[in-house]
Amino acid sequence: MFSAYIIHLLILIGIYMILSLSLQLAMGYSGLLNLGHVAFYAIGAYVSALLALAGVPFWICIILAGLVAMLFGFLLAIPTNKLKGDYLALATLGFTFVVYAVTLNWTDLTRGPLGLPGIPKPVLFGISFSDNLHFLFLTITIAIISYLIIKQIARSPFGKALQAARDDELAAEILGKNTFKLKSYSLAISAFFAGIAGSLYAHYITFIDPSSFTIMQLIPVLAIVIIGGLASLEGTLLAAIILTLIPEPLRFIGFPSSIIGPARQIIYALILLLILIFRPRGFFGKVKLE
Amino acid sequence: MFLQLLINSLIAGAIYALVASGFSLIYSTCKFVHFAHGAVVAFSAYIAYLLFSIWGLNFWLAVILAIIFGAFLGWLINVLVYRPLRRKKSSSVILLIAGFATLIILESLILMFFGADVKTIDFIQTAEGLEFFGAIITPLQIVIVIVSVILFILLFLLMKKTRIGKAMRAVADNTEVAEIVGISAERIHSWSFIIGSAIAGIGGILIGLEQNLEPTMGTNLVIKGFTAAIIGGIGSVPGAVLGSFLLGAAENFGIWYLPSGYKDAIAFVILFIFLLFRSQGILGIKKS
Repeated sequence: MFSAYIIHLLILIGIYMILSLSLQLAMGYSGLLNLGHVAFYAIGAYVSALLALAGVPFWICIILAGLVAMLFGFLLAIPTNKLKGDYLALATLGFTFVVYAVTLNWTDLTRGPLGLPGIPKPVLFGISFSDNLHFLFLTITIAIISYLIIKQIARSPFGKALQAARDDELAAEILGKNTFKLKSYSLAISAFFAGIAGSLYAHYITFIDPSSFTIMQLIPVLAIVIIGGLASLEGTLLAAIILTLIPEPLRFIGFPSSIIGPARQIIYALILLLILIFRPRGFFGKVKLE
Repeated sequence: MFLQLLINSLIAGAIYALVASGFSLIYSTCKFVHFAHGAVVAFSAYIAYLLFSIWGLNFWLAVILAIIFGAFLGWLINVLVYRPLRRKKSSSVILLIAGFATLIILESLILMFFGADVKTIDFIQTAEGLEFFGAIITPLQIVIVIVSVILFILLFLLMKKTRIGKAMRAVADNTEVAEIVGISAERIHSWSFIIGSAIAGIGGILIGLEQNLEPTMGTNLVIKGFTAAIIGGIGSVPGAVLGSFLLGAAENFGIWYLPSGYKDAIAFVILFIFLLFRSQGILGIKKS
C-alpha cells in the first residue's frame, strides 16, 4: 500500500517535471511569461483521451497530443508576438479561459462537465502499462527524454539565439535573428511537451474533465519554474520534486479532502509569494524575472 | 428580444464597471495589474453573506461592514504583498504574478471556509420583474444600475475636485514629479487601494445579490474588469466604465449567435483583438 503511494507520487513528479521543464523553455530561456501553459496541457490531455477512446494506439495518441498542442502554440504565438510582460501574461491567461470554455461547452466532442471516463491505460510494443509501476517507468523515460531534448535545445545555437532575443530583442534582430520565428518556435516546442504531459496525465488518471485544467493548476507549475530559477533546468527538476512532496504531509494529518485541495493551493501560492519577495531569482535562477 | 438584450447588457456593464473602475484606479496610480482585485470582490461578497445570511445581522449593517472589510483587505494586500515588492524595485510582471498568487490564496481560503457549493444572499425575495415593452428588469437590477452610476459620479468628483483626487492624478501622471512637489506616492498608493477596494466591496455585494456566490467568481471578474479596462483605455477610470458597458453589450449580444456558455470566451476574444490592434484602448493615449 505504502509503496503504491510512493509510486503514485513519483508519477506525479514525473508529469510535473515535463510540464515545468517545458514552461521553463518558454519562460526562462525565451522570456515569454506564458500563463497559458495549462491550456496546452489540457489540449494534449483531451486530444490523447479522445483518440484513445476511439481506439487509436497509445504511441500515436501521445505524439498527436504533442503535435496538436504545438499547433496551438504556433497559433497563440502569432497574435501575441508583439506583446510583452503584463500584456503577454494576460493574453496567454485569456487563452487558458478560452480553452476551458471550449472543453466545457463543446459537449458533442468533450462531453462538457461530465468529462471523459474510461481512458485506456497505455499499451506500447505489446507491453501493457496498466499497473502503476510500469506506468512509472514510462513516465520517467518520457521525462528523461524531454529533459535531454530541452537541455539540448537550450545548448544549441537556437537556444543561444533565444536567450539573446530574451536579453535584448533589438540586438538579436540587428544580428539578423528573426525574433518572431525564435519566439514562436520556442512557444510551440514548449506547448509540444505540455501536450505530452497532458497525454500522460489523461492515461494515468483515466478520467479528465474541464475542472482538471483551470488556472488553479497553473500555480504549482509556475511555482516550480520560479522557485527552481529561470533558465535552470536542474533547478526545475529539484523544485518539481520538492513542491510535489511539500503538501503531502497534509494527507497524514487527516484533514478531509475538501480542506486538502485548497490547502495545497495556499501552500503553493504562499511559497511563490515568499520567493518573489525574498529571492526572486529562485534557487538556481540565471536571469531576472522581467 | 433586442430590448431585453439591451437591458441585460446594461446590467452586466454596470457590474463589470464596479470591478473595472477600482481596478483601473489602482492601475493608474500604481502602474501594475492588481490581479487580486477579483478576490477582494469575491471576499467582500462572502463576508456580506456570512454577516447577513449566517449570523443574521441587520442587512445594512452587514453591507457597511462588508464594504469596510473590502477596503481593509485591499489595503492589507498592498501593505503585505505589493509594498515589499515595490521597495525591491520588482518589475510589473513580478507584481502581476504576486497578485495572481494572492488571488489563489484568497480563493482557496473562501473554498476552505465556505465550501465549493453555490451560495445566495437571500435579502431580496425574487420580486416580480417590471415590464418595459416586453423586456423584464427586476427592481434589484435597477438598484444595481443606479448605485453604479452614483458611484461613478462620486468617483469622478473625487478625482477632479478633492485634494486626494488631484494628488492621485498627479501620481498617475508622473510619480517622480509628484514626489518632488511633496506628495507621498506610498500614501497615494494606499488610498487608491482603499478606495478601489471599497468600490470592489460594493460591487461584490451587488453581484452577490444579483447572482450566486462562487469561490472562483473573483478570477472571472478580474479578467472581465481587466478586459473592460483595456477596451476603454487602461489607467483611465472613465475609460474603464465605458469599456465595461461595451463588454457587457458584446457578451449579451454575442450569445444571440453563440451558446451562452461561450459568454466568457467572447470577452477574451475581444481582449485579444484590443491587445493586438489598439492596446491603448478607446480613450487611451498611446505613449511611445
